[in-house]
Parts: sequence; structure tokens; C-alpha cells
Amino acid sequence: MREELLKAAQEAVEISKSAGAQDAWAWASRSRSVEYSYRDGSLETVQESTSRGLSVQLYVDGRYSSQSTTDLRPDRLKAFIAEAVAMTRALEVDPFRKIPDSALFAGRAADTLDLVDSTVSTINHDRRLEIVQALDAATHGHEKVISATSGVNHSHDVSAGASSNGFTGSQESTSFWFGAEVTVQDAGDKRPEGYHWVGGRHVGGLPDVSAVGKEALDRTVTRMGSAKGPTQKATMIVENRAAGRILGMLMSTANARSIQQGRSFFQGKVGAELVSKKLSITDNPLLPRGLASRLYDGEGIAAKAMPVIEAGVVKNLYVDTYYGGKTGMAPTSGGASNRVVTPGQGDLAALMKAINNGVLVTEWLGGNADGTTGDFSLGVAGFEVKNGKLGAPIGEMNITGNLVTLFKGLTSLGGDVYPYGGILTPSLVFEGVQFSGA
Amino acid sequence: MFSPNRRQLLQGLGAGLSLLTMPSFLVGCAKQGAPVASAQAPLGQNPFAQWFGVDEALIREVLTELGARGATAADLYLQHTRSNSISMEDGIVSAASSSIDQGAGLRVVIGDQTGFAFTEDLSRESLLAAARTAAGIASGAAVMPPQALNVSPEGKLYAIAVPWADVGITQKLPRLEYVEAKARGLDPNIEKVSIAWGDSEERVLIATLGGLIATDYRPMTRLWVNVTANKNGVRQSNASNVAGRHDFAWYTDERLDTVAKEAVDRTMRLFDAKRPPAGELPVILAAGASGILLHEAVGHGLEADFNRKKVSIYADMIGKSVAPDFVTIVDSAEEPFERGALNVDDEGNEGRRTTLIQNGVLQSYIHDSISARHYGVEPTGSGRRESFRFPPMPRMRCTFMEPGPHSKDEMIASVKKGIIAETFTNGQVQIGAGDFTFYIKNGWLIEDGKITAPIKDCNIIGNGPDALKRVTMAAADARLDTGGWTCGKNGQSVPVSQGLPTVLVSSLTVGGEDA
Repeated sequence: MREELLKAAQEAVEISKSAGAQDAWAWASRSRSVEYSYRDGSLETVQESTSRGLSVQLYVDGRYSSQSTTDLRPDRLKAFIAEAVAMTRALEVDPFRKIPDSALFAGRAADTLDLVDSTVSTINHDRRLEIVQALDAATHGHEKVISATSGVNHSHDVSAGASSNGFTGSQESTSFWFGAEVTVQDAGDKRPEGYHWVGGRHVGGLPDVSAVGKEALDRTVTRMGSAKGPTQKATMIVENRAAGRILGMLMSTANARSIQQGRSFFQGKVGAELVSKKLSITDNPLLPRGLASRLYDGEGIAAKAMPVIEAGVVKNLYVDTYYGGKTGMAPTSGGASNRVVTPGQGDLAALMKAINNGVLVTEWLGGNADGTTGDFSLGVAGFEVKNGKLGAPIGEMNITGNLVTLFKGLTSLGGDVYPYGGILTPSLVFEGVQFSGA
Repeated sequence: MFSPNRRQLLQGLGAGLSLLTMPSFLVGCAKQGAPVASAQAPLGQNPFAQWFGVDEALIREVLTELGARGATAADLYLQHTRSNSISMEDGIVSAASSSIDQGAGLRVVIGDQTGFAFTEDLSRESLLAAARTAAGIASGAAVMPPQALNVSPEGKLYAIAVPWADVGITQKLPRLEYVEAKARGLDPNIEKVSIAWGDSEERVLIATLGGLIATDYRPMTRLWVNVTANKNGVRQSNASNVAGRHDFAWYTDERLDTVAKEAVDRTMRLFDAKRPPAGELPVILAAGASGILLHEAVGHGLEADFNRKKVSIYADMIGKSVAPDFVTIVDSAEEPFERGALNVDDEGNEGRRTTLIQNGVLQSYIHDSISARHYGVEPTGSGRRESFRFPPMPRMRCTFMEPGPHSKDEMIASVKKGIIAETFTNGQVQIGAGDFTFYIKNGWLIEDGKITAPIKDCNIIGNGPDALKRVTMAAADARLDTGGWTCGKNGQSVPVSQGLPTVLVSSLTVGGEDA
């Protein structure tokens, strides 16, 4: 399959060159996925598909465009690319639109990423059913459950790329996920919901299926009786599972594009201390079995680990070829891979004990941030922390502030890294956070 | 990687803002009284069938395969979408992209169970293989395919004079350049203007086991203007956009002038804006974009899939009074050229206008055909899917509130300390708990009945049924928003529209600083 896709990509590059492009890049991909959902004792949906696609980037007379199609019939593909080349000629010349430098392809790591589990393809109907039924049983273990939906899904993705300046590569990965969401009857009309999903590149190494269902149920039941907490400034613990979102917001403009467009609070900050010394984040594309691992990025740049923030100091930014050219920064990679936060110590209980009083945020609801200024406002739900222990559930509240100020107030990190996401972070503790509530 | 039971609404803004039926064969669905069967041209000459390279024999063969193990309903959904985007930064148009997305979704429904498969390969072999996969959900006796295939007439809600395929890039470039120059000229502090243009046309053909063939041509276009200004070393950025199922001629100078001015005004106002006070405050929702309130606080909770599963906070409220009597809320497929307009939904049902709340009383849910059959009601024409890769679900289309009896001035005068919400980037809701949010990008502070200062970047959180009861005034100035909203639910995004008159909600929790 990898050879077949590589051949398709190489052919697309040839077609593009014959059609008049001086340079071209093509990616071909194929993805197979199976997904079951099971609700309250019966199968609800069964989905199965094999998907494919092709994308091409064209460099024509100093101009640039990108194309994608799922119609791979040879005559259609030729016509599509010919039309695209003609269209590209109508754009304006831009000296920064150049094919990524082939020197950046060098030094590709050996493939020890372990992203493929061959047993994923052997998961059959009976096994999927067994998983969702075990989840269904575990999620119904409480009298207040109204409905619970369990699911399992697995996929196998293959992609290959080729460029006119010598890049070739192919990557393959599998993934396997299962989990459940639960709704319970609370007082009045309220029906709080909760969920828990786990997954990874391999089938092995995941928690027991019933324990995952039980966790989904417990997370829901503990939401019962949730009330609005007070408007106050308080110490906030963000649970590891929720911490990825706020870290993602912090880092969303740590890139050359945002800086070049004047929309980033990282502007002029490389080498400077931006946030708390407690925070260190490394972009590590070479993490074995990582959910965002890769050997090269979308421009073929050979993957390597890159510190982004080290002890609060901005070390590197995400820089692609185009905006690197415009800003004079050397390309690193245009897109994030696994973002690994250096953990501290202790689990959630230890962090609660350490802060004594405050708020534990376990989930976000909506909200946004302005990447130019860092100003943010986010809906939150979670629990009070009282005398070092978990208190009553709270919700329908907001936190508001500035991302830079918030992360300057990062006082400690737990040792409890959440493994089921592309941002590998423990729970985080912030001081002086403005909560809006009753 | 998996989202919990929440829905969200985003308005695509530029960098810097991180976001934004099978008519079953039990229903003899003849649409709009049109003649069917005998009066029809053979399906093989239907332009949609020709486009997809299918004929009556192949459709019948696929339907036979879908029904081979039994089915309450089943459908074949053929889709071809061509999209173009162009972007302009630093004064030049130097990137464009086009994509073609073509494929077929095949679905078999048994009661409330769904088997689904899709393929991008429209060959007979691939279609039949996918049909067999979808039919795997069933294990009963075969259902015979329909005797006759009845082709529904095409709808006219967004008939455009010139299809997007006939508009070359050389026609579009001067429009981008025009709006960019316009925005730059509006304020000397403007440092960057970037423009993003998108247009697309989607063709669908839906064939059901009930013998219905529905087709639709769905154009869409959208223009964003993003602005960054630098005033004494401080930078602010913001954006505006317009969108709809329109053609190229819709982009008049006047419309482009308006969107450029909005983007610049919204950006420049941020320099003087502060954060509102934190806590529970009265919130006046400005006419238009504030329809986000309806989408989050009411609309999602009324989608019937959540109600038949009893997981929505509105599950037991049909026929009950849920809002003051001046509140009437509609979800309609029939608003011409709006993003949420649909001649026919993605199950082949005619797009309709659905009154959700009539004079304060909850009237109807938003149905797909599974839920319509569950509740024994007519489909509302709101079974939608992101693409052929997904099975349909009940989804909003264009959600709005009818005009009310009050005035904006009396609302402002009545507020001692509160805010006006004017522009938004995104919102979200928890269906069962009923908690919803929306994010205010620009607004105003009200003190002692007067507007005193601009505000910015503030999340609002409330509870749906509580907020509805707290709608204390609604003005006569109802209008639909012109911006392009996209609604996400269970991993599927669909275009929607929304509108509102100016409305006062007596208390919501405002994300602010310093109470």
C-alpha cells in the first residue's frame, strides 16, 4: 500500500510538471476506519469505510496553489491538474512561494516510532461488540442513568508524498479508541453528562474496558447537584485531561505566520522570559507510539525534537518555509507534533492538599482567546477545593484574564501526565484566577 | 480526539482567534404537489444522474442491496462538491486552492439502528460493496426495492444566475483587491489586512428505498476581512465576514464597503475597550448575530435525537410554557440564499419552516426521519450531514426569533449595570445540563441606563431554560445575521444561519474582571 500510494504521488508530480509547473509536491492517502456505537443495550450505529485522497501543491512561474481531489480516475485527474496549473498562472508572483528547501529533508530519523499495531486489523465484529457491551454494562451501574452511549473505533492510515526536488516518504499508523458518554437525571429537568475515552496507536497498554465505562459513569454522577460558585479570585487547578486546551490556546500563535501578520503575543519574545519558570514545553515528533508522532512534517522537513518554552523562556517557534522567508526566520516546522510538558510531582489529591482552598476545573465550556493580545474568557465546570479536599461540584462559571498573565501565575504542575492527546500535560495549578459566577 | 456530548458553533475568523429520511417507504412523499412518475423524463437524462454517471438500473441495484437484509428505511447519497479559496496577504494574492470531493454515502436503518458506509469510488462494484457493508446492521428478510423511482422537482431557494464553475479567478481577484484597498484606506493605524475568499458548489442526488429521488444544487460563498492595527506600539486585530448561498454578482461595491468598514471599526474599537465586570448581569443582545443565543440556549436542545434518547434538558417540555408570550422562535430551511437554506434535506425531505416555540410555548423538535418516525410526526426537513462520509442527524438550519413589542432604547434605559453583546466568535452547549456559552468579541458597557464604554473578549454562560424565562424584552428590529456560521455536532460541521431582534436577558453570568 505504501509503495502504491508513493507511486500515485510521484505520478501526480509528473502530471503537474507536464502541465507546466516548474515544481510540484503531491500527497496520496488512504484510511480505513470502523466505528460502532452502542446505546442502552443495543447497537446504534455501525460505520465502516475506506477513504482515499490526493493533494497537490503547484509552483508555477513564481506563483503557488494547492489542490485536492477524491476523484482519482486518470483522465479526470489530468484535467483537474491542467486546469489548476492554468488557474495558478492567474495569481500574483510572490518571491516567498518556493518549494521547501531539499536540505531540510536530510537527517530523517530511522522509523522507530512504533505507530502500527498489526493486531488492529484483526479486530472483528465480535470483539467490537464485546467492548461496547462491557462499556454499556459498566455505564449503567447507577439508578440515575438515563442513557449511556458507548463506542469503539479503530483506523489504519497510510500516506505517501513526493516532490519534484527529491522528497519521497511514506508513513503508516493505526489507532484504537473506546469509551462512553453518560447522562444522568439530576434534580428538576437537569441531565448532566460526562464521558471518558481512552486510546492509542496500539491495542495493548490501555485500561480495562469496564474500568473506562465506570470512570465515565463516575465522572457523570459527580456532576449531580452542580451549582454556580461565587465570583472571586482563586487558585485554580486544571485537571490534566482539561489542561491541553488552555496550553493549546497559549501556543496557538507561537508561529511565524501569526507573528508576520501582527497577530501574536510571541512577537519579539524569542529568548525572553514570557511565562512562569515552571513551564517547559518541547515539541517532540519522535515519541514512540505518540498520537502526533511523525518522521517528517507537511513540508517534508525531517522531524526532530524542539524546545518551545524552556523554564518560561521562549526558545523556538513554529516556522514554515513561506512565513520563514517573509520573517527571515529559519524554518523549523509549520505545525505542532506531540507537545510534551515537563511534569512536576504528585497526583490531583496531592495538588488539592497543597493549595488547600480553590477551584478544580475539570472541563471547559466554550470561550475563546485573542491571539494578538492574549485576552481570554472561558466557561468552566469542576469542583470546589476545600481544606485540601474535593468539595461540591460547580458549573455555569467563567474564568477571564490574559493568557500571558495566567501562565506567569503557574505555580506548580502535577506528575499526572494525561496520555490520551497530542498535548502531553499533567494537571496545572494557577494562582489569582478571576472566576465569574454568582 | 473524541468530544463529549456537547455542541459548538463557530464563526471562522482569521488567525488570532482560535475559532471560530429517509423518507421511509412508509411515507408516500410527493413534494409540492408536483406530478411524478409518468410525467418525468427518464432518470438517465436527469442532469444530476448524468453528472454522477448513474442510471435507474444502477440505483435500483444499489437499493436492492441495501434492503437485502431488511430495512425500515435506506438511502443512497451521492455528492460532488467543488470548492475554491483564494487568499490575499500583504497586498498580493499569492495563494489559491481548489478541491473536489466526490463520493457516496450508503445507509440502512432498522428502527433507530443505523448501518453506514461510504466510498469515494462511484463504480458499480464499489457502490454495491459499500451497500453490503451498510446492510450488515440488519439480519432479516429482504425488502423489495421500489417499483417506481419518483424524481422530486428542483427547489428554487438559491437559484443563482451564474454557477461558480463559470466564474474564473481573474474575475474574483479585482474584488479581493477592492476590499483590501478599501479596508486599508479606512484608518492610518492599519498595519495588515488579509482577505480570504471561498466559493463552492455542491450537487447531491438522494435515492431512497421508498422510491424517492431528490436532487439539489447548493452554491455557497464567503468573504472574510481580517485587520491588524498598530497604535502607539499596541496591536489589535479583528475581522468581519459575509456569507450565503449567493453568486458572484452578490459582491457589490456596497457589500464589500460594509464588510471592510465592519472589520476596521471592530478592530479600532478594541483599543479603547475594557473587560466588563465579572458576575451576573443583564445582557442586551444586539439584533442579528445574537441569534447565537437561540442556537445554543434552545436550538440544540430541541434536536430530536437528544430528546428521543431523553438526554436533553428539553426532553419533557413539549406543550409547556418555556418563555414569555412575546417569544416565537423558528428554525427554517426556507430563508432564500441563507447558509442554512435547503431546498431538500440530506434525507430527501423537502426543506420546511418549523416553529419551535410559539408565543412562549414549546411546539416542536427538529427532526430527522428516524426521530420523526419515533414520535409519529411529519419530518421537518432537517436531517443533515456534513458530507457523504456521514449519516444524517437532526440539525438546525436558519434559527431566528420573530419581532417583539419592545424597543432597544427602553431596554438600555432599564439597565443599571449591564452589557450589550454585539459581535461573537463562537458558542457551545451541554445538551443535558442545559449550560450554554457564547463569546463576545465586541460589546458595550451600560451604566445607569446609558452606554458608557466599549467592552471586549468576554464569555457568557447561562442555562438554556433559565435564560429563556429571563428574556424580559424583545424589540421589533428582528434581522438575520450576514456572517457565516458553521455548527458542529458529533464531529459533523454544517452551515447554519441565525437571527434575533434586540433582546434583553435579565441575568447571565458574564466573564469579566473585578466585580
